[in-house]
Amino acid sequence: MAFRKRNIALSRAPADSDASNPIATPTHHSPVPTSPGTRPSPIDGRPTTSTGTPSLDSILAGHAGFPLGTSILIEESGTTDYAGALLRFYAAEGVVQGHKVHVVGTGEVWGRELPGKSEERGNSARKEGKERAEKMKIAWRYEGLGQFESSRASPSVSQTTGQGDGVAEERQVFCHTFDLAKRLTLPVGTAITYIPITHPTTSPSSPFSPILQNVQQQLSSSPPQTIHRLVIPSLLSPALYPSSASRPSAILQFLHGLRALLRQYPTRLTALLTLPLTLYPRSAGLVRWMEILSDGVFELSPFPYSHAQALAQSAGTTKDEERPQGMFAVHKLPIFHEKGGGGGAEDLGEDMAFTLSRRKFVVAKFSLPPLEGDTEAQEQAVREAAGGSAMPRKEELEF
Amino acid sequence: MPPSTRIPPLLQPYVHLPRNDSLLLLTSTLGATANWLLIRVLCDALNNPEDGGDGHNVVLVSWMREYEFWRQEARKGAALDLERLKKEGRFAFVDGLSELCLDASTNAPATTSKSAPQITATSTVGGSPTQKAPQILPVRGPPGRIVPARGLPQGAAPASPALTSTSVQTSSTTRSSLGHHTMKSLDIAHLQTTITTAISSLTFSKSTQRKTLLILDNPDLLLALNPTISPSAMTSLILTLHTLPSVSHILTHMQSDNPFLSPSTRPQPLETSHHNLLVKLAHMSSRVLGVRVLDTGVARDVSGVVRVTEQRVGWMDLGLHEEGKNGDRAEEGKGREFLYQVKGDGSVRVFERGAGGEG
Repeated sequence: MAFRKRNIALSRAPADSDASNPIATPTHHSPVPTSPGTRPSPIDGRPTTSTGTPSLDSILAGHAGFPLGTSILIEESGTTDYAGALLRFYAAEGVVQGHKVHVVGTGEVWGRELPGKSEERGNSARKEGKERAEKMKIAWRYEGLGQFESSRASPSVSQTTGQGDGVAEERQVFCHTFDLAKRLTLPVGTAITYIPITHPTTSPSSPFSPILQNVQQQLSSSPPQTIHRLVIPSLLSPALYPSSASRPSAILQFLHGLRALLRQYPTRLTALLTLPLTLYPRSAGLVRWMEILSDGVFELSPFPYSHAQALAQSAGTTKDEERPQGMFAVHKLPIFHEKGGGGGAEDLGEDMAFTLSRRKFVVAKFSLPPLEGDTEAQEQAVREAAGGSAMPRKEELEF
Repeated sequence: MPPSTRIPPLLQPYVHLPRNDSLLLLTSTLGATANWLLIRVLCDALNNPEDGGDGHNVVLVSWMREYEFWRQEARKGAALDLERLKKEGRFAFVDGLSELCLDASTNAPATTSKSAPQITATSTVGGSPTQKAPQILPVRGPPGRIVPARGLPQGAAPASPALTSTSVQTSSTTRSSLGHHTMKSLDIAHLQTTITTAISSLTFSKSTQRKTLLILDNPDLLLALNPTISPSAMTSLILTLHTLPSVSHILTHMQSDNPFLSPSTRPQPLETSHHNLLVKLAHMSSRVLGVRVLDTGVARDVSGVVRVTEQRVGWMDLGLHEEGKNGDRAEEGKGREFLYQVKGDGSVRVFERGAGGEG
């Protein structure tokens, strides 16, 4: 593999699989590059896709993406819906990349509220006008470069060789930037499938079994290159699910089945679930089993909103966007914890905080900024510690 | 590579199976999984040439993880070729994940399952798909291994392991069908027949001198998935399996997270039954290995803590064999703790507290 020229190998693979399937099965070991929106993990080369949130991608134990065949459970306490924003970014990223998105439990309204692609790509907050035009020019140049490169290779390669970081060509972007104030215009057809929750009339049947069957059918009926994303908003919320769903036999069997499904399609399916922690606290055994059955577990605990602080921030500093809105706890990471540890999770033990703004959901290390009055006091203390007040010291220097 | 380099020297005496037949318990928590330790146990049991015996056969029953994971981890962490060991009849895998809660009949034409040829191989042999057990089993009769008369699923359940094993030998064209068994039902009787079939498939193929180590990976999950199974039914199943003549050791891996150990004020049945099973097994086991995260938080160079507790008096045989080593045993009775670090390449470093600097 290492000595094969990449372009040749890739362009040959589809021809092989067309001609004779059994011979071409070894090439299925690397179906990674053939689907858009995926890239191999820098750690072990397993295919990953983007969660739609760059900073969430970056904390996934060094894989720089959501490993295919795994699931992430996002827990949130309180009445806020920050986790919902993550879900929307995830779903929107899937729609933009041409993945199949399955949404469980909600109607089409949810899909219509997906954030649209932000026009201003790039992470730096540049000024509008001239600079943007300049940026567009740069982007255009890169685009030309990309076309030049891809023109040498086969057309199928051009979709796939994207490194994802900073390449401006539309199809090669690994993770797009979305704007919560915009709306994604859904492609005509079946970009999103909505899986309803059936309220069973007879008690023994679980409300979850049709969901799994549905996803299973979609997976087996779609071509092998398509990536599927399963979105499950506010699992077990009484607004969506019948009360029988929260029985351990129902929900845990569903999650166990989902885990089996993810393992069965290790290169095609990811799942993102959210759970309202206020209804199902983490100290409960049921929730612990749900966490064990998921591959990754994150917990969002938003700060209580305080008026005074918000006013002070908006009046005073200009960095009010940086103010974190809650703590972000990492309890489990997809591949990392299954192995028991390993490289890649450098900032696992840090206190993390998240900030949701219009265009991005940022997870960063949390540190309390020093108070203004406090710094003066500190300087004073340093001066005094240096010896007396400033005046005699000056005299000494002059002398 | 010899096992001594794969298994950290400090952990070697505790990973090595006791000389006399016994039950062992391994606990883990959410933040500190014990898969790496299970791999070390596999490594020690499958190739240790010393002390006369020639290792053990291993039957690995996993409810949480798929075979592909174990195969890759065993190759990376312990240099074990599970495929070859399967062919030699020394290793068998019982899959409790892929078809336990997932109806496999609808996805028989699995398209690009690079990791699941064995799944398709076993799923197609079960005859007509309608004969399979239903996906979500309804709440059924009394707990325990006395199975009440049921409809079609019950007829299918005990028959399916036999079907699987016979057809496994005929359809041995797929590389891993031999020594691969799949559980299709949450029923405890089905579990027993499947495991018994897996165990017997090993001992019949090899000399009987070699005993079998049975590893149960998260059988507590079965209790959570099917509340009708009582903890006592599970423990009696484990004891029944232990009385099989070819089985010498049973290692049970369970979760020991806080919600299970100290249930909430109004404990759910799920928590109490887990607690019940965990305490029972801990009392029955002659050695308890516990893996947990550091109490002081996450550290960059420490993945977690292993605690080893040896039962001072053996459970059945009263520990009369090793009477001479009283000094050691007194120390072991208190338990020992090590820190461990799993590295990116799958290797593990185990060291005492405060001795993190040297290897």
